[in-house]
Amino acid sequence: MSNTYAHPEVLVSTDWVKENLNNPNLRLVEIDVDTKAYDAGHIPGAIGFNWQTQLQDQVGRDIISQAEFEKLCSDSGISPEHTVICYGDNNNWFAAYGFWVFKVYGHRDVRLMNGGRVKWLNESDKPLTTDKPQWPAVTYRSPGVDASLRALLPEVMAAVSSGKYNLVDVRSPDEFTGKVIAPPGMSETAQRGGHIPGAKNVPWSTAVNPDGTFKSPDELRSIYLEQKGVDPKKDTIAYCRIGERSSHTWFVLKYLLGLNNVKNYDGSWTEYGNLVGAPIEKP
Amino acid sequence: MPEFSTETEQRSTGEARAGRSRGTDYSRRVFASVFDMLPNEDNPSPMVRINRLNPNANFQLFAKLEWLNPFGSVKDRAAWAMLRDLLERGEVGNGRGLVEPTSGNTGISLAAMAQAMGLRMRAVVPNKVPLEKKVLLKIVGAELDVLNDALCPAPGLGDGSINLAKTHAKASPHRYVMPNQYENPKNVEAHLHTTGPEIWRQTEGRVTHVFASLGTCGTVTGVSRFLRSKNPNIKVIAVQPSEGHDVPGLRNISQLDVSKLFDRSCIDEILEIDYELAYRRALDLCRAEGLIAGPSSGLILEGALRTVAQAGAGCGVMIFPDNIFKYVSSMIKHLPQLASETEA
Repeated sequence: MSNTYAHPEVLVSTDWVKENLNNPNLRLVEIDVDTKAYDAGHIPGAIGFNWQTQLQDQVGRDIISQAEFEKLCSDSGISPEHTVICYGDNNNWFAAYGFWVFKVYGHRDVRLMNGGRVKWLNESDKPLTTDKPQWPAVTYRSPGVDASLRALLPEVMAAVSSGKYNLVDVRSPDEFTGKVIAPPGMSETAQRGGHIPGAKNVPWSTAVNPDGTFKSPDELRSIYLEQKGVDPKKDTIAYCRIGERSSHTWFVLKYLLGLNNVKNYDGSWTEYGNLVGAPIEKP
Repeated sequence: MPEFSTETEQRSTGEARAGRSRGTDYSRRVFASVFDMLPNEDNPSPMVRINRLNPNANFQLFAKLEWLNPFGSVKDRAAWAMLRDLLERGEVGNGRGLVEPTSGNTGISLAAMAQAMGLRMRAVVPNKVPLEKKVLLKIVGAELDVLNDALCPAPGLGDGSINLAKTHAKASPHRYVMPNQYENPKNVEAHLHTTGPEIWRQTEGRVTHVFASLGTCGTVTGVSRFLRSKNPNIKVIAVQPSEGHDVPGLRNISQLDVSKLFDRSCIDEILEIDYELAYRRALDLCRAEGLIAGPSSGLILEGALRTVAQAGAGCGVMIFPDNIFKYVSSMIKHLPQLASETEA
């Protein structure tokens, strides 16, 4: 046991970001649950991505296509050589989702700002601005899709029938037990409540400290591996309701704990809970 | 900026009298400015005795009707104390106004006061706030940000509305300063200097119990500190709605970590009450006592009645934060029969 993350290079501190605000090799990207937050104020130089309109296909249910991703990065002035720092509200929920999309399309160097925007906001020496950056457009080419990071339904069904995967349900306990289908006020929902058979419930927020930063490696190891019984020898699929909270846990399991073959099931409960005939556990 | 008195509140009685605007006469209820209507020891919000709902003839129970403050709620007190402090320190004016996270009442008070002084006010409210309050905020001239705040419980995140208001204040300091009712000691001082002394005088020092709800905790902390300085035996009882509640403006103790003004040592007892009772008791207050009190007052009444039923003799004061008019949609949600037969 060592008290270091498996891949510490994917996490940067707010202080590091402040020291690197003028670093031309960086691009900061803010991605929030509350899409008003960026307009109200953001880190100087940060680009704002709207997860609903810019990271999701606007017709079919999917993440944006490779061509759309390339256009988004090109127009935003992000080149494949840039180090991309994602941060956002709600302890980096959608920042982690954005990180995952960048990785799916093979971006080499993408990192999360530990603590997200709430930590930056509450530190008196960290500036915010309403000025939007005008980075010169570039031509972005993705090396291709890394399918090893994303679980699609056939693999989830195989995981259910084989029992050979860790299935990690990161939703709240009430969603896991089926008491509610979605948190109050959420429009994305499902026909049925409950969870995928065999899944372990580890709410996403278990991984963070009150200041928004990730818990220490030893704490994370204790929670996921010892208390919740995630088996590091097995392949792992994380899911939630629409795939954003599970991106956060996917990040923890893959990069902070270093588990092999961790996938995010972005179809999540709004796909699985609507399937005719799918097995569901509901205590 | 229109002329107004900054001297009428939060001073000792003599100073308050001396500082009142010319033309204001509390005895005749004639005021030279809406700001002179703000409550203080010489111009207290009314207290009315509960008669039909009180089960204990030896225990006098009073309701202090905070909706009769000029902007409609107990929050007039904290709003004025915070705004006056900002005015005195030169923190507002020259294009710089206010931004505040609010469940409605503080925002309504601040916005109305700010507008009367020609200042901008931006209110950041959670979506669960009833429509009436959101519209009222717009009526009194607030710019409105509405947020979905209840996505998924997370430790220490603070409210999204608090964070968004902080963001406006930090990113646009030329436009906004944030009074921050959750941390501003003026919130407590408002009650230390007005609500507490009013209760002491109105009960002629006979008060034995105070009942209040928990939100920012400014009321309960300030009132408790004043009254206990007069009589350390006074019992301060806070009521909180059960977890997962739907009573706007109130907080369960599990939600209180955002308030820096919560001081457990100021409270003798915290009663947790099924939040649905807030709505039923509000109806009881209207129908049995003729008091048009809102659901937080209903919750406080339920807590007080439980205490009074067990107590011997005493004199209790319930601080009723606001009235029912802002909660018509909430009342219909919880008591759907109220909406029946309302159309021809």
